[in-house]
Formats: sequence, structure tokens, C-alpha cells
Amino acid sequence: MDCVGVVIVSHSPKVAEGAADMVRQMVGEEVPLAWTGGNPSGGLGTDVGQIMAAIDRAWSNAGVVILVDLGGAETNSEMAIEMLPDDRRAKVLICNAPVVEGAVVAATEAAGGSSVDIVQQTAEEYSAR
Amino acid sequence: MDLGADLRAELVRAVATTIERHAEELTTLDQAIGDGDHGLNMKRGFEAVLADVANLSAKPWPDFLKGVGTMLVMKVGGASGPLYGTLFMALGKELPAEPTRADLPRAFRAAIAAVQARGKSERGQKTMLDVLYPVAEALEAGAAEGPAIARAAHAAAEATIPVKAVRGRASFLGDRSIGHMDPGARSSALMIEAVASVLEKA
Amino acid sequence: MKNGIATDQAATGAIVIAHEVGLHARPSVKLTKLAKTFASKIELGLSEGGPWIDAKSIVKVMAFKAAKGSTLHFRAHGGDATQAVAALVDLVRRDFDESHGGG
Repeated sequence: MDCVGVVIVSHSPKVAEGAADMVRQMVGEEVPLAWTGGNPSGGLGTDVGQIMAAIDRAWSNAGVVILVDLGGAETNSEMAIEMLPDDRRAKVLICNAPVVEGAVVAATEAAGGSSVDIVQQTAEEYSAR
Repeated sequence: MDLGADLRAELVRAVATTIERHAEELTTLDQAIGDGDHGLNMKRGFEAVLADVANLSAKPWPDFLKGVGTMLVMKVGGASGPLYGTLFMALGKELPAEPTRADLPRAFRAAIAAVQARGKSERGQKTMLDVLYPVAEALEAGAAEGPAIARAAHAAAEATIPVKAVRGRASFLGDRSIGHMDPGARSSALMIEAVASVLEKA
Repeated sequence: MKNGIATDQAATGAIVIAHEVGLHARPSVKLTKLAKTFASKIELGLSEGGPWIDAKSIVKVMAFKAAKGSTLHFRAHGGDATQAVAALVDLVRRDFDESHGGG
């Protein structure tokens, strides 16, 4: 069974990359992982095209969860999902969880082979704890 | 000779021209109550659409509109990229391959609903929706003349001036957002005017 | 095994946490990952009587405060309960396979 992939989207590329480093160090290699941050002009922000590319890099047949920081990251991630091919769209879920902790929790759950719904649920459980 | 393609190309040129002409004004509006990049973002987006006009306008209406929408999402950026992108993509989904004026009111309504869902805003919150809804109503009331529709759009944009923003970056300014036209409302009105004047002559 | 069907086992175990910072984030990840490789229901507690938390729940285990020197109690129910408890106790004994001061 493929592990669900994890995508980290932050307004800051440093935050996104750092969060990905933490996930790799704490969880290991088995979970497909990708990160993106910053806008095409090199400033803080998020970009739909970059998010779509990150989803592709972390793609797994089990699906992908996306961790986001502030508002625009979520809107752009929703836009990116909307623009995915039909066979992928339903398998990508955004998690309502803090970007760093949510990514670690999501990746841990994904490493155990959980479904994309359970991975999302577990990340959101972190917010509710 | 594909009259459809010529018309589509003319629409692109008209919209790109008005955006280019008003880019500085849109930036100024956005500096007052936003992050100051609306003019720049819209200009970049429509330059990209214009650069690809031959390819885009060769497609039938639904694919043309979806193509424009996709390019706007990818190139405009900011908050308005996804909103305008969604507007065009939804129009492309709603209109038939050979659309007539009769298809416009329903398709436009559906497209506005998609924009509303994307931005999670409502009418009256000082956004582009405050222009789009009145235009939809004008179309539904049977307004067929370009100038009438353009007037409705510009009046609606003016009406955003006294409104206090509760959505987007402007909402952080609270009362200080009052007295400024919403930049997205302005760009919408300009685009509606450009489209209306081309369709009027078509 | 009876008639080819594994009978349910119940198992318990306890081990003192020697890890420098106790059960913090990275050990929590390793613990839950290991727990999930077993079919049995597995729980974790700070005393023989509990209260017990689900050892496969990363959120609960991360929130579980267990300092260095405290005793972690495990209990499991299921076909592989004995192996599960043994494996988890061993993970703690091995200091979660981390060098001192790491993580």
C-alpha cells in the first residue's frame, strides 16, 4: 500500500523547507514529501502553479494531504486542487492544522499506511487536542 | 473565416488594453487599501494572455475562456488571480460551444457563484462581487446595450467607496478602508466596459 | 494457536524511560510507528492502573508527558499482544535508537 503524500505550503520558502526537514528527520523516508513557499518574484506568498507542481512531486495513488499556513495559502491550494486532472482531484485534501506540527503528525500517520481521510483527520485532531 | 476567433481576439485585446492603461491607477487604489500589487498583477496576467491570443482565440468559446482563466490563475497571482481565473474558467464551463446573448445571464450568474465560493466573500463586503452582481442583474433585466451595462458596472464600483471592508487585506484597515474604491471592483468595471463595448459592435 | 486461529493474548510490560528528554516528539513518532505494525490494541500509561492512551495515536502520544526516569506501562490485547509489548519495551530500553543529546 502506498503511503499518502504530504505537501507543505507556506508563504515563506524557508518555513516550508524547514518543516519538510523536520518531517524527514522525525518520520523517515517512506512518505512522499514536497514543499513550496514564496511567490514567483521571490517575495513572501504562495503560487498556484508551484503548489500544483508540489502535489505532483509528492503524488501517491493513496492521495495527498496539504498543510498550509495563512489564508492565501489555503485559497491557492484550493485553486490548485480545482485545476488537477479528474482522477487526482478527489484524492487531495487540505488539513486545518498548524503547518509544522500538522505536517509531522500527518506524515507519521501516513507512514503507518493510513488512508488520506484518516491522515487529514489525524492532522486536524492535533488542532483539537 | 472564423468570426468567432476574431471576436475572441478582439475581446482579449480590448481587456488587455484597458488593464494596461489603468494599471497605475489600480496600483494606487491597491496601495490605499491593499498590498499595492493589483495593477502590477493584472497587467502581468493580461500581458501573458495577450501574448498567447492567437492560440487562445483559435479555440471554441468554452476552451478559450478556460484557457484565459487558467492563464490568469497562473500569471496574475495575489488574491485576484484565483478569483478572475475562476470567473473565466466557470464561464467556460457554463457557456455552450456556440453561445448566444441569451446564454449570458445564466452563465454569468453561475460564474459569479463560483467566484463567491472561491473567495468566501459576499456581496456588500467591498469586493469585485459588488460589481459582478449588479452586472448580472442588468443582464437578467434584459439590458442589451453595451453602454448601459458599462454604466451599471462603473456605478457599482463607485458604490464601494463608502463601504467598510470586511474581507481580504483591506479588512485590516477597518474604518480606514472607507472612502476608497475597491481595486478589484475597479478592475472588474473596466473589464466589463471593455467587453461590453466589443460585444456591442459585434 | 487453536484450530489455526490465533487466540487473543493479553500482555503488559513496563520500562523506565532513560531518554534524556523523556517521551518527546521524535520518540513519540517511533513509538507509534512501531505500535502500528502490530494488529493488537495497544495502550500506554504512567501507572499499572492507567489512565491509558492509545499507543497508535500520534497526537495522544505526543501530548503524553513522560519525563526521563518515569515508568512507561504498556498493555495490549490481540493476536500479537505479547510480541507488541516486547517490541515496545525493547524500543524504550534501546533509548529509541537515538544517541544521547540527539533529537
